Amino acid sequence: MTDYNAMTDDEFRAEVRRFVESEYPTHLRNPPNRLHWDEGEEWFRIVQKKGWVAPGWPRELGGMGLDASKQIILIEEYERHGVARLPDHGVIMLGPLLIRFGTEEQRARFLPRILAGEDIWCQGYSEPGAGSDLASLRTEAVLDGDHYVVNGQKIWTTLATDANWIFCLVRTDKAAKKQEGISFLLIDMNTPGVTVRPIINLALHDEFCEVFFDNVRVPKENLVGEPNKGWSMAKALLGFERIFLGSPRQSAYALSRLKTLAERMGVFDEPEFQDRYTKLRCDLEDHKALYETFVAVLRRGESLGADVSMLKLHQSDLFQRITELMLEIGGENAGLLKPMEGNRDLHPAGQFIEARPTTIYGGSSEIQRGILAKAVLELPG
Amino acid sequence: MSATLQDERDEAIRMIRDSAVGIAPRAGDRKRIRALRFKSPGFDPAVWRQMGEQGWIGLRVPEEQGGAGLGMGAFCALAEELGAALAPEPLVPGALAARLLAAAGASAPLEALVSGEALVLAAWQERANSFEVPGTPDAPRLFLPMADGARSFLVPVRAGDGFSLRLQPAEGADLALEPTQDGGSYGTLRPAGGEEVGTVSAAQMEAALEEAALGTAAMLLGVMDQAFAMTLDYLRTRQQFGKPIGSFQALQHRAADLKVQIALSRASVEAAAAICDRGGDREDAPAAQRRAAIARAKARAADAALLVTRQAIQLHGGIGYTDEADIGLYMRRAMVLANQFGSAGLHRRRFAAAQPEVEA
Ligand SMILES: Cc1cc2nc3c(=O)[nH]c(=O)nc-3n(C[C@H](O)[C@H](O)[C@H](O)COP(=O)(O)OP(=O)(O)OC[C@H]3O[C@@H](n4cnc5c(N)ncnc54)[C@H](O)[C@@H]3O)c2cc1C
Repeated sequence: MTDYNAMTDDEFRAEVRRFVESEYPTHLRNPPNRLHWDEGEEWFRIVQKKGWVAPGWPRELGGMGLDASKQIILIEEYERHGVARLPDHGVIMLGPLLIRFGTEEQRARFLPRILAGEDIWCQGYSEPGAGSDLASLRTEAVLDGDHYVVNGQKIWTTLATDANWIFCLVRTDKAAKKQEGISFLLIDMNTPGVTVRPIINLALHDEFCEVFFDNVRVPKENLVGEPNKGWSMAKALLGFERIFLGSPRQSAYALSRLKTLAERMGVFDEPEFQDRYTKLRCDLEDHKALYETFVAVLRRGESLGADVSMLKLHQSDLFQRITELMLEIGGENAGLLKPMEGNRDLHPAGQFIEARPTTIYGGSSEIQRGILAKAVLELPG
Repeated sequence: MSATLQDERDEAIRMIRDSAVGIAPRAGDRKRIRALRFKSPGFDPAVWRQMGEQGWIGLRVPEEQGGAGLGMGAFCALAEELGAALAPEPLVPGALAARLLAAAGASAPLEALVSGEALVLAAWQERANSFEVPGTPDAPRLFLPMADGARSFLVPVRAGDGFSLRLQPAEGADLALEPTQDGGSYGTLRPAGGEEVGTVSAAQMEAALEEAALGTAAMLLGVMDQAFAMTLDYLRTRQQFGKPIGSFQALQHRAADLKVQIALSRASVEAAAAICDRGGDREDAPAAQRRAAIARAKARAADAALLVTRQAIQLHGGIGYTDEADIGLYMRRAMVLANQFGSAGLHRRRFAAAQPEVEA
């Protein structure tokens, strides 16, 4: 197996570029929505054949064993080429968690099935009453012999209809302080008592879902780590998510579409547009510079601090501002339900809507600001 | 305006708001809107007829021509209520056609339109985000709202200093439809044939379009006002961290900022309507002053409605990003109306060009 870490960054980047340029299915480039499993499986099989399903996992567990900065390069090249994100919660969230906190048996049982595309995972954290205040979650798991009996409801579960497994935060101790009574439980979605209801989102796509648990019996050995330690385990994984969500590519791509739209609308050369466009360009370049400073932290092998919240906060804001300008210059076309002239690059309304949830999921912008104010700036309160 | 006239105007505005509630209530669920959206024709012809019976379509048409002869204050109040209720019936485009038919003295089609029996749409626009009426005889006419439900199109064709208005039946017309975010559609018409029903001057055309822009601003005001009311309710009821989210200072400040934008929009729309009404039917409010006021109102309302509805989604969190939650319907409507009859940028340019040198 290739040791990719032995390559220079440039060599590795070229390797990834070659791979996607020669093998990525053209019709899947830059899809307007998250792909369902059956829509993207074709690509998964290509990646599987290449052995690239799990960039961050150690090589002995079937991963690529990439260090953090090579993982970022891989993501950058995928994004640059418009590679779709597959239902990947197993690879990017559950896998690292099991590697760090799981038992030998759990690793042997679950990791190969993720690599083979046999198990598709979704993330069951949020509940109707527990969003920003996740620690107040109420879905409970009560021990009954060799099983936990789970009752409750998860919501906003992305691509749950595609998944056959869900990893959940559940309450196992109602008496403890709220963060201290939470466990991390793996639930087979084919167990009796699990019901999934898709929710149509604002883009009119069935991307997220509600998942109901009615006396669902889950074998005791599906609990990861120690009981009541689920909260700190889940939190340990957030840093990577925030750098991932802070990547400049979403905004970079939106900016290129803004340019296409402005040219189509005949306003690109107008001084007023140029002024605003140039400001967004500078914002993007500055964002890239900031992003690089966080990548450098990873490259040095250090872990990210709470200040990584800045990345997600600024990238989502920038993405939204770009799409707001699209809406303004698009004229009446910005009210259309479908892309102009059948061209996906000319779809101001779609982009505008797509940018909305980026300030809500993965810790809302208000929550990120709170983290910055308290954990980074150490303001009182 | 004399005190009596002022009282009469206030009374007309009050009455119009009251009667709007009967047909298009602000509060309540949006089942009617959901049942009509993304289907042809996108609105309910029976409700359109009711609007005709109420005298709304011909609200600005002089009484001697079968209209209600009311002012822009009343028209804006009505548009605001319909905006708040998300009524899909195309009041502003219908009223624009009525204005033009009245100015041209075309009584038969005018009567069918203002009674609510038929929808007539002015097919004036030849470019996106434009306020100009080139009147090219056979150029495609763009962005005809709810064109699927129109009985005929009123196509202005440049004639001397003004326009000849040609009435073309929808039946047999070359019309292409594209769905819009709010559940309606935009039609593109290739004009052909059509019978001349009269002429209007360039000034009459512009005044009619300006009224449509102001009516749209008022509708946006209703959209943002109701979206904000729903959001305030949510801030009061949604609990996180053991308290209503509206108790978090960050969200209180956000809500306060939105309130300022809504207040500015209302003041701007109402001031523009008052300027229009000051001249009464003599239209002697200096054209430039009127134009500047309307442009300012439309620019403000477009920006503020998008800001308020965007923030309404944000403050609703995950539920705001669902199609099930009614708050999203408000953002979609704002997305469509914001650029109808000129975008914020276009109207700011009109304002800059029209702003009178001497300000009171
Ligand atoms: C597209 C999308 C995909 C998602 N995918 C998943 C998934 O796969 N799995 C999963 O578990 N979850 C998922 N989520 C859920 C997401 O994590 C939550 O929506 C998020 O945590 C916010 O919670 P909420 O929706 O309950 O909003 P709330 O927490 O109710 O927030 C409502 C508003 O109040 C603000 N607010 C809340 N508390 C404070 C405070 N203390 N100070 C200031 N403002 C505050 C919020 O910022 C927001 O604006 C997804 C969400 C979206 C939109």
